[in-house]
Amino acid sequence: MEFMSVIVFGLVNSTILALTAMGFSLTFGLSGVANFAHGGLYLFSGYVSWMLLNYLGLPFALATLLAVVVAALAGALIYRLVIMPVRGIVLSEVIATFAVGVAILELFRWLGFVTYEFNLKPFIKGSVEIAGVAVDYQRIIIIGIGMLMAAVLWYFTHKTRIGLALRGMSQDEYTALSVGIESDWAATLSLALGGVLAAVAALAILPLGIISINIGYEVLLIALAVTVLGGLESTAGLVAGAFVLGYSMTLTSTLLGPQWMEVVYLVAIVLVLAVKPSGLLGRSKELEERV
Amino acid sequence: MKRVLLGVSVVVLTVLLAVAAGCGGKDSSSGKPAGKAAPVVIGVPTALGAIEGGDSLRAVQLAVEEINAKGGVSVKGEKRPLEVVSIDTREHEPGIPVTEALAAVEKLIAEKKPSAIVVGAFRSEVLLSSMELVAKHKVPYITTIAMTPESQKRIKEDYNKYKYVFRLCLNAPYLVNYLSKTMEFIGKEYKFNRAYIVVQDVLWAKGTGAGLEKWLKANGWEVIGMDTYPTGASDFSSSLTKAKAGKAQVIVPIFDMPQSGILLKQAKSMKVPALMAGFISPAVPGTAWKTFEGEVEGLVNLFFEIGPMPVKAVPKSVQFYEGYSRKYGQEMASKLSGHGPGPSYDAVYLLAGAIEKAGSLEPDALVEAIKATDMEGVIGRIKFTDDHQVVYGTNPKETATGVVFQWKSPGVRVPVFPEAVAEGKIELPSYMR
Amino acid sequence: MDRGIKVRSEDIFAISSMREIMYLALPRAAVIAVLLAFPLLKDLLGHYWQNVMLMTCTIALLALSWDLLASVGLVSLGQAFFFGVGAYMAGFLSRSLEMTPLFTIPLATVAGAVVCTLVLFPVLRLRGIYFGLITFAIPLLMMRMIEATKILGGTEGMSGLPPLPDITIELYLVITAVLVCVFGFKRLMDTDYGLVLQAIKDNDRSVLASGINIQWHKTQAVFIAAIPGTFAGAFLTHHYQFVGMPAFALEYSILPLTSVIIGGPGTFAGAMLGAFILVPLSELLRAFGTLRVVIYCAFLLIFAVGLPEGVFRFIRRKYHQFERVVPMEEAKA
Repeated sequence: MEFMSVIVFGLVNSTILALTAMGFSLTFGLSGVANFAHGGLYLFSGYVSWMLLNYLGLPFALATLLAVVVAALAGALIYRLVIMPVRGIVLSEVIATFAVGVAILELFRWLGFVTYEFNLKPFIKGSVEIAGVAVDYQRIIIIGIGMLMAAVLWYFTHKTRIGLALRGMSQDEYTALSVGIESDWAATLSLALGGVLAAVAALAILPLGIISINIGYEVLLIALAVTVLGGLESTAGLVAGAFVLGYSMTLTSTLLGPQWMEVVYLVAIVLVLAVKPSGLLGRSKELEERV
Repeated sequence: MKRVLLGVSVVVLTVLLAVAAGCGGKDSSSGKPAGKAAPVVIGVPTALGAIEGGDSLRAVQLAVEEINAKGGVSVKGEKRPLEVVSIDTREHEPGIPVTEALAAVEKLIAEKKPSAIVVGAFRSEVLLSSMELVAKHKVPYITTIAMTPESQKRIKEDYNKYKYVFRLCLNAPYLVNYLSKTMEFIGKEYKFNRAYIVVQDVLWAKGTGAGLEKWLKANGWEVIGMDTYPTGASDFSSSLTKAKAGKAQVIVPIFDMPQSGILLKQAKSMKVPALMAGFISPAVPGTAWKTFEGEVEGLVNLFFEIGPMPVKAVPKSVQFYEGYSRKYGQEMASKLSGHGPGPSYDAVYLLAGAIEKAGSLEPDALVEAIKATDMEGVIGRIKFTDDHQVVYGTNPKETATGVVFQWKSPGVRVPVFPEAVAEGKIELPSYMR
Repeated sequence: MDRGIKVRSEDIFAISSMREIMYLALPRAAVIAVLLAFPLLKDLLGHYWQNVMLMTCTIALLALSWDLLASVGLVSLGQAFFFGVGAYMAGFLSRSLEMTPLFTIPLATVAGAVVCTLVLFPVLRLRGIYFGLITFAIPLLMMRMIEATKILGGTEGMSGLPPLPDITIELYLVITAVLVCVFGFKRLMDTDYGLVLQAIKDNDRSVLASGINIQWHKTQAVFIAAIPGTFAGAFLTHHYQFVGMPAFALEYSILPLTSVIIGGPGTFAGAMLGAFILVPLSELLRAFGTLRVVIYCAFLLIFAVGLPEGVFRFIRRKYHQFERVVPMEEAKA
């Protein structure tokens, strides 16, 4: 029973990690911007959806859709207002986005969005038994959404014109410019897409718990851990990184106790960067960037 | 572009500051002096952003308003009004250094020169380090939230230095006592003897968990496991899985963070067939049935002190509840947290009484007067021990009292323990019958 | 207009007249004098502002440490690591070996810096944000480790540590430390050794090609930069007689960073100035509670995006310009 529950919950947790990190990883992979406001965007979309549902009484589908759109706009705005003036100075990009993220999170804390009432309802209530382990529908839905998003992401970056243009940009900016891809436009789009992914992840995952400020910081760290572990740009690396982390976290939590869970991904960041900076599936290009 | 951006951001910042000034200024001091006499200043340095902290401040303001309406307190024959000054220590947020909270306390003491402090530290860690400050500045300090018995030990060890600190709320050993009595009842009534303890990784909760574990083991219970979760944790599945696999009949959660409500939700969705009996702060308020959509059914929870939960056996608690509803509205009253507001309200009356008895605001005289207190409050009868802790027990006529209650359909909180205040009995929830 | 004495001041002709010596020395002397006079004004300012001064100096030390690291091209997002290691080291030494602060502070400073250097050694080859990432994660990791393993007092920390004798002495201690770091680091950067460090930031490959071991230089820089940080930690531990997990709190990473960004990176004096603006300001804003953090972030954003040169460079430029409004006759002569 415990063994099965590690298998099942490991799968759920891995998907959650992958979904959480997807937006950050996509933005980083496409435009090289490490969007430290990822956690802020994640929580922001959760709160937006909550406010639309509870203050305006909008129907669920509309509120969800609007929250995703708002997150995309917020992502694009962050690029236009904050990153564009300092584009290329990596440190300033990081500091500026980090400041935006923390500002969003702490603003909500100040507004008093901290109690248990701030929770999103699961899409479908109830649970089902899989191999003797009770799993709620929401977690199953998350696995579905995670797989769907991974597939869509792969298709988008490998098969569509826009996706290819963005990847071209990330591989060689000057060549891409010379064939008529505009750098700022591409980067704005990548930030907006990162926002969309953050919102999708938030709206799927937040119903499991409550919307609390700490989650914003945690999400950023998880995104960093998964991205560092899995290497950049490749969807496969992201998924692999998420699974390694997800299972090791679930195992640690069961064997050593829940207080060790957060230690796992922090250790992962430190160890991977210290020992194998290119990540699990990284290639030489990334190695050159990191070392 | 840059210039525009700069302009925009400066404007935004200014607006932000202006808004903040408007809001910040509003609640920083209240209970305006009623007459010409200089007011007696009472300081409230606590985590105002936390539910317990905010509720406690409101309870203090209510008491101050009531006393001022009657003309204030008489010091040496002169009627003087009370005035509350508060400061937010933010100590409930993870990642805030204790030193940051201490700086806030010190600012309050140095700038507002309060004659006494009520409510006080939110975290036990902050209480312990504030004791040095309090000793240095010699301000009577009635704490009503932080729960560690460690402070009493210090008072005993160096009485003259630490004598300014009093505790009016429940402390961890008394909490263990209430919980163990509850477990005793559950054990007897339903022949349960397998428990699983989950606690938050903070001083008071761990202390309570360890104390309860000792009691359970000594009384024929099997403790299947005890897990600690960091403040802010939101996934409890590993403990719940272990509890289910170990066939736990009772799960004892001890938490004061909003995320702990997830434990209930998760237990329901994982179909863990165990009674929940302990303390989960978000499931205390009267609105919890609605927020949890009925998923709190069967939960045995507790109010650390009577007051926010009016019980018929203590008429003053009913009075307090009604007064609170009048001032802040029915909804705020039903949302009152399980820990803090009752003793905070009493602390003001206690202080007013002590000031009148001592006839001065001189700290040492005040301490003597506070120590000699014997009054009926909303939390029951208030008397201090030698180490400055209010005596808690099971009869509100003789001691201060907390109350254990159970959430029952259709959304009511039924007091079940102690017998003197009980209005019902613990029943198994529908999913266990 | 911008030239004149500024040009001369950077070489030997600067000391051509008493007036010009004053021109160069006055701002420095004024800062030193004000800082040294501060502890004497305790009756005027009260205990509270003395505490604020202490906190300001602490943050200034961390900011200076950041600035030194940044001048080797290592961008840290986790100054709390240095602070926390120093703080815990002092706590551990005085708790388990029962030493007095007279020994624990220097010992913790040096031993802490050694520990920090050893921990960061394997990751020094990382560039850009990857070094930032790892420094961001390390303090959080330390916090979680202490929480999970319950070593060094666990979540409760260690309290009741021996205090420092007197607030005036404490103030002189930190103020001296800040001044030594500001002027010392500036000096250091002007030496040949400092030039190598700066060159590593500008182009590490070419330094490597000149046959200089950049790894070893970076290690030394981390050690030097860690010293003010660990000192600040050890010092505050004894000031508050307490050390606990919050020693690794995010605040100790954000505040120094914001200070440097406000003051202007790369000048050291800017880092100090930033701390002296930010910390007292944040005390004034205390009534706003959590909104303060939002306000810091707004500052961080405005300065990082809008005014990357920082306040110090701005003031310095104005000072140089202001002196150079020379009457026509004099210029002709």
